[in-house]
Amino acid sequence: MALIDIDNLVFGYGKAAPVLDGVSLSIAHGERIAILGGNGSGKTTLAQWIAGSLPRPGMTARSGTLHAEGKPWSDWDALKRAETIQFVGQIPSQQISGFAFTVYDELVFGPGNLGLEEAEIRKRADWALDTCNLRHLVERDPFTLSGGEQQRLSIAAALVMQPKALVLDEPTGNFDPESREKLLNQINQLPEDLTVILCDMALKPALAIARRFLLLDEGRIVADSDAQAILAHPRTLEVFGAPAVTEAALAIRAAGRWPEGKPLPLTYGQAEALFKEVSHAHG
Amino acid sequence: MITQGSSQTGTALLYVPGNSFIHRMNPLTKLVGLLWLAATTFMLPPGGMATIFVATFLFGVLAGAGKAFIKRLILTLGPFAIFLFVIHGVLIERHDTIQHEWISFSPEGAQYMLKILVRVAALLAASMLFVTTTHPANLLKALDSHGVPPGIAYLIASPLLLLEPFSARARAIRDAQQARGLDLTGSWKARVKAFPALLIPLVTLALSDLDHRATVLDGRAFRARPFRVVLDAPVDRPYERWLRRALLIAIPLQIGVLLWL
Amino acid sequence: MLTVDQVAFHYSAATPVLREVSFRSEGGEILALVGRNGAGKSTLLRLLNGLRKPTQGAVVIAGKNTRDTPPHIISHSIGTVFQTPEQQIFNATVRDEVAFGPNNLPLTPQQREERVVRALARTRLTDFAGKHPLDLDQAQRRFVALASVLASQPPALLLDEPQRGLDQRGKNLLEEIIREEQAAGRCIIIVCHDMEFVARLASRIIALSEGRLSADMAPVDFFSDAPAMAAASVEPPDTLRLSAALGLPASLTPSSFADHWLARHN
Repeated sequence: MALIDIDNLVFGYGKAAPVLDGVSLSIAHGERIAILGGNGSGKTTLAQWIAGSLPRPGMTARSGTLHAEGKPWSDWDALKRAETIQFVGQIPSQQISGFAFTVYDELVFGPGNLGLEEAEIRKRADWALDTCNLRHLVERDPFTLSGGEQQRLSIAAALVMQPKALVLDEPTGNFDPESREKLLNQINQLPEDLTVILCDMALKPALAIARRFLLLDEGRIVADSDAQAILAHPRTLEVFGAPAVTEAALAIRAAGRWPEGKPLPLTYGQAEALFKEVSHAHG
Repeated sequence: MITQGSSQTGTALLYVPGNSFIHRMNPLTKLVGLLWLAATTFMLPPGGMATIFVATFLFGVLAGAGKAFIKRLILTLGPFAIFLFVIHGVLIERHDTIQHEWISFSPEGAQYMLKILVRVAALLAASMLFVTTTHPANLLKALDSHGVPPGIAYLIASPLLLLEPFSARARAIRDAQQARGLDLTGSWKARVKAFPALLIPLVTLALSDLDHRATVLDGRAFRARPFRVVLDAPVDRPYERWLRRALLIAIPLQIGVLLWL
Repeated sequence: MLTVDQVAFHYSAATPVLREVSFRSEGGEILALVGRNGAGKSTLLRLLNGLRKPTQGAVVIAGKNTRDTPPHIISHSIGTVFQTPEQQIFNATVRDEVAFGPNNLPLTPQQREERVVRALARTRLTDFAGKHPLDLDQAQRRFVALASVLASQPPALLLDEPQRGLDQRGKNLLEEIIREEQAAGRCIIIVCHDMEFVARLASRIIALSEGRLSADMAPVDFFSDAPAMAAASVEPPDTLRLSAALGLPASLTPSSFADHWLARHN
């Protein structure tokens, strides 16, 4: 059974134009999927539906359905839902519970609510401290951490719930390049069976993490494919721009000098080798 | 720069770290003790209240919080004493008021003032003893582990935690508005006019925070069960349990006696 | 236009935040202010717009010394766009929000109206003028903040991570506006982590490292200077590395890289 099944979902706030306009999507367990979209494309709203923070009273679908493991979120109890999916939003300080005076207490807050055994809670917290590189901060007040540290803490606090899926909404938006690299590596080292759903409007983080890419444009899914096909999609360049090395290759392709069928470089690592081959072919 | 210089546990707390006998007491025992002292001060003559004040103050010094005590007590009681003296000793006309040239003074008024002052001093010192020796995190854990509904614990924790981020944000808003031409140096009229520009973003952002935090709490299964599992809950010794029970029985009895007599 | 002269700043003498920072700008340039988190960028930003006063030295903008001019007057000479537009939005419509700056200036109603209309048009907000700013998406809110500064037409602009949270369409529009401002002779200072954006736009790089000015160079020189980049914890744009690896002339942007590559392989 699919983890998430969305069928023709139409949703909007108040009487305004729909934010999601007929979205159909199925996400299997263990997928690494990126939902890409520009400003106002509806990706954060879609992420909230997937994570079960929508629908809410007064904010329901105009039509269409969402099923998580076969039943709508509204049929799930709060406990099971928290153990199934976790959402980490964009603004780090807003992801802190406001219940804990230390980083450690913030981490054990969720599992404490689940009613787990004490030993199990400590084991999970230990694992999350290492995974998200927070060990040196255990005694700190969560609200005195930097934005990047808060972001790592909120991801750790989601992981200790041991969900089946983790939804991340622009997780590296507040990071400088160095910390971004580190966080993406940490996400890549998460257990294989954890489903990761990344919403972003930068291609770099998505290319580093995801294997499947959705392109969301004005509330509709306009592409659902692998990295190469997404980069070749006409809307991609317009909305996201491409990584600089890809953009360079595209300019060369536009001049008719990039060999037919040769893949485009997506990262710097690929670029050096590919450009050397292409240069060599041209002598 | 906002967090620079602030201590690791936030700056809004009066807690003084330590390992004294009172520090080690279960926070609930201290809380009940505080309630009992409050009820008791209404029964005692000024001498008794002064004894409570001196005793709690000495306990505070023993717990290593002497400095914090003196600072707070002077800051709060000083102006309060002057205020009381002026009202009761000088301004209110009594039968024993002595007129001496341009100043009038009433010994009875002064005595009445002294009575109020020692009562407030006793209450204040007892509260200080509680907050300087009890880290709020420990109070939370004690409440949680005694089956107090988590919502109540949250009401205690979040204002303490959010005070500092809230004032940091107020400063950021003030900066942002000044940098786009808002005059905060002018007449009081100009400042009143500037007020919405400072208040509206603060309220808007607080509401947005509230909305997000509710989602976060849901996501962490807050209140999905009636009780939470608490790690490192403060120790609760049998004698403390008995002491709390005794005090909890004593409080309504004392109030009853007071009303009866 | 802008003079930063031997500026030092500290909250307490033991922990200096900035030391001996000096640079000048005559307008018509785009300065990128770079450096790792904690290097003093945000403090320098607050010294430039007069929110903080230097402990030593002086900041002078359009003839006004920040030391003896209150921030709301300095704001007529240097407009700041902060990272969080929600911290300043308080009017019920986009139009009123954008009019806030001009309303504080000695202008005729007609001049004010003209400026607001033009700022809205440049930021593509004309159609949203009657909406509540918080009903707009994140990128549009940032443009509301930018428009409210543009409408005041200050001679200098201070932009804190203006590209953050913008998709490519937003970045293109931002770039267009910044270039127009540059062409109009304004001095533009951008605090920015995004080196691709810096490489595309900046005419000069000011780098801070541990509170000191560690570089003040042309972008092409800065991005070829490994120690200077390391001090500021900055990675060169990918195309610059790629052009070096392939033995091509230093290329700061994809289009200049493509030009060089095509010239080589024709």
